[in-house]
Amino acid sequence: MTTNPTPLRTPLFELRGICKSFPGVRALDDVSFEIHPGEVHMLLGENGAGKSTLMKVLCGAYTADMGEFHHRGERVQIQGPADARRYGIAVIFQEFTLVPYLNIAQNIFLGREFKSGLPGVVDAAGMHREARRILDQLGLALDTHTMVADLGVAHQQMIEIAKALSQKAKILVLDEPTAALSDRETERLFAMIAKLKADGVAMVYISHRMAEVFQLGDRITVLRDGRKIASRMPGETAPAELVSLMVGRNVDMSYGRAERAPRGARVLDVRNVHTDSGLVDVSLNVHAGEIVGLAGLVGSGRTEVARAVFGADRLNSGTVEIFGKVQRGGPSQARALGVALIPESRKTQGLALIRSVADNMLLAGLRKRFASGWFVPRRGIGITRGLIERLRIATTGPRQRVGVLSGGNQQKVVIGKWLNADSKLFLFDEPTRGIDVGAKAEIFALLDQLVRDGAAVLMISSELPEIIAVCDRTYVMREGRVAGELQRAQMTEQSILTLGMHDA
Amino acid sequence: MHDALTATPSRNLMERLKRAGSGAGAAVVLLALVLVFALSSSNFLTVDNLVNIGLQSTILMLLALPMTLIILSEGLDLSMGAVLTLCNVVLALVAVKTGGLAFALAAALAVGLAFGLLNGTLVAALGIPPFVATLGTLGAAQGLALVVTDGQSVVGIPESLQQMSSGRWFAFVPAPIAIAVLAYVAIHLLLYKTRFGNYVFALGGNREALTLAGVKTRSYLVAVYALGGLMAGLAALLLTARINSGHPTAAIGMEFDAIAAVAVGGTSFERGKGWVFGTVLGVLAVGVLRNGLNLLSVPSSVQVSSIGVLVIVALLIDAFRGGRR
Repeated sequence: MTTNPTPLRTPLFELRGICKSFPGVRALDDVSFEIHPGEVHMLLGENGAGKSTLMKVLCGAYTADMGEFHHRGERVQIQGPADARRYGIAVIFQEFTLVPYLNIAQNIFLGREFKSGLPGVVDAAGMHREARRILDQLGLALDTHTMVADLGVAHQQMIEIAKALSQKAKILVLDEPTAALSDRETERLFAMIAKLKADGVAMVYISHRMAEVFQLGDRITVLRDGRKIASRMPGETAPAELVSLMVGRNVDMSYGRAERAPRGARVLDVRNVHTDSGLVDVSLNVHAGEIVGLAGLVGSGRTEVARAVFGADRLNSGTVEIFGKVQRGGPSQARALGVALIPESRKTQGLALIRSVADNMLLAGLRKRFASGWFVPRRGIGITRGLIERLRIATTGPRQRVGVLSGGNQQKVVIGKWLNADSKLFLFDEPTRGIDVGAKAEIFALLDQLVRDGAAVLMISSELPEIIAVCDRTYVMREGRVAGELQRAQMTEQSILTLGMHDA
Repeated sequence: MHDALTATPSRNLMERLKRAGSGAGAAVVLLALVLVFALSSSNFLTVDNLVNIGLQSTILMLLALPMTLIILSEGLDLSMGAVLTLCNVVLALVAVKTGGLAFALAAALAVGLAFGLLNGTLVAALGIPPFVATLGTLGAAQGLALVVTDGQSVVGIPESLQQMSSGRWFAFVPAPIAIAVLAYVAIHLLLYKTRFGNYVFALGGNREALTLAGVKTRSYLVAVYALGGLMAGLAALLLTARINSGHPTAAIGMEFDAIAAVAVGGTSFERGKGWVFGTVLGVLAVGVLRNGLNLLSVPSSVQVSSIGVLVIVALLIDAFRGGRR
């Protein structure tokens, strides 16, 4: 399946047979990757395909378990960021490494300040001169005395690039650089990339936008499940082929979906919602007795939808109706109406890890179960026992600390917590993240049980096979909008990914 | 509107004020206080009284200046008042014993520096939250001050030390004010002209970025706290001269005034946002408030509350101006 374009010359930098594992996950499996001067190498893949891990290995943030690095044909070691810097590798991650209340020049030369005659005193004039020269090179008319805090995201991105260039970067990694940029800003960035290319800088460019891939790419590599699936030249492939290369992830699905009863009344109705968190005209609905998927790339606004429904983010316009009531009271009202938000980061947002199973499970339902205001420990333990049995949680008992349970059992504790609060609408954000295969099937069986009992479920997931297996229908998000809705019969990895990608 | 063509910011004073971190609140508060006290007490706007305010503000200035840097680095030093107290009694004891100034000052500076280094090490190397670490050293310094004095005042301060309080530099400037002004100039230059100063902003603004830039973040963090201790040692010189003794509770609680002055001055506790001149305004606001309330014979217990109110008012003014996030 793998076809490599034959390299005509020695690459500037080459990774061979890179493997990297994290506990429970094989993030990279025998990946080879080459970078040529003056070339833009596009890196494609679904969420979790291993793109970021590969780039972190390249820049020394992670150490590879296996594999070789070659610089101009010579074998070298990359054990840390200092090694990567020696070979002129600079990465511009999506999170910026800028200091808000220092000016542009100070940021560009952070840690490499120019020395003046006096000890400790920096040569500010010299730094501004050099910063000016770099900004001019990039065609930026910004004043180098401007505080970074006063710059927009696009300009901050440009300053990151300027910072990389000032370090004489020969290899520049850009991780979805246009995600936060407007069209005009994107144009400016592309002009800059063309200029860098002409200067012989090699670039690795991670993107989810097909138009960019073909506009900029000199070489395209697709990763999937931590493996290199293919490398192509842009002339010899098309968007449709690339999408088909990206899908087909091996997600273990030993889960059989039960037959579901016809859906019931409309439980959640989101109409034309706009938020500061980036949602644009989002409309969707969920009925009792159905599991609705919410697919899309990371950053497409899926979590923001859940937060808006739960009342955690303010709506600028539009309405959220839950069980026919307009939601305007924030999370406490949402909870009172029977909404449960089960967040992605269970450990920080969903559970108090050092507390007992009982403490965690009882938390959300305290008001309902102990209406008098007095907590009766024995009754609490009894309720917890019932939930442990019902959800089949593997624990020594209500008094065990939640932190020692497995991921799947922790997730069940979170679900139990909301069951106990009589929740009827469940918002799941990546419910199977960090959960092993067997437990996944159990979680899905639990979701099935929930909807059979008349609850409604909105499930955010990056695992397309899971969405297809579990959901009755799915919405696909793209750039804060609902890009489309797919019925059960229409759902394939290809159709979902095509809707979720730009211009695919 | 974030565009290369539109974003060519002017560098005039207003722009700087705005950018420097909403320091206008401090200026407004200071002016308002001066106005109120000038109208309510005929003794307020006299040369003697204004010089008096300056003198009373000098010790606080020496604490608030390094406190600004500590807070800019997203830290806090609760031990400053106690460390100043300990330095005060150490300085007094050594001065009485040796009859001279040099050894006494050196001892006070050494004790201050030691505590500053201890604070910095606890915070930077051991990762103890600044609030907890400096609360611990507060107790330690306070206890030590009581132990070395046996709870008694230290009297019999030599003449040469009293000169520090009553003497004039450059013919007419009272020595404490001269020292405070020099300290301001030094800290200003340190913060805005040196590598160290850049890193102070980065420690609070984006520590990760500083680490990624290959800077030994921890050493700089230790240095920030060490500077605080050292300045407390210097402040002990002025304090001892002023009260003409060493006293084991001389400056207890003064960190509260220092933190208040920094906050009033418009320095934020997050993201490395702030400016050192704002702290000067904040120190003067605290000084004017205390002095004015004294003139109006308001009891000192009420004065403490009034400083709390001052902090809240200054922050509210900035919040209404949209300066704070």
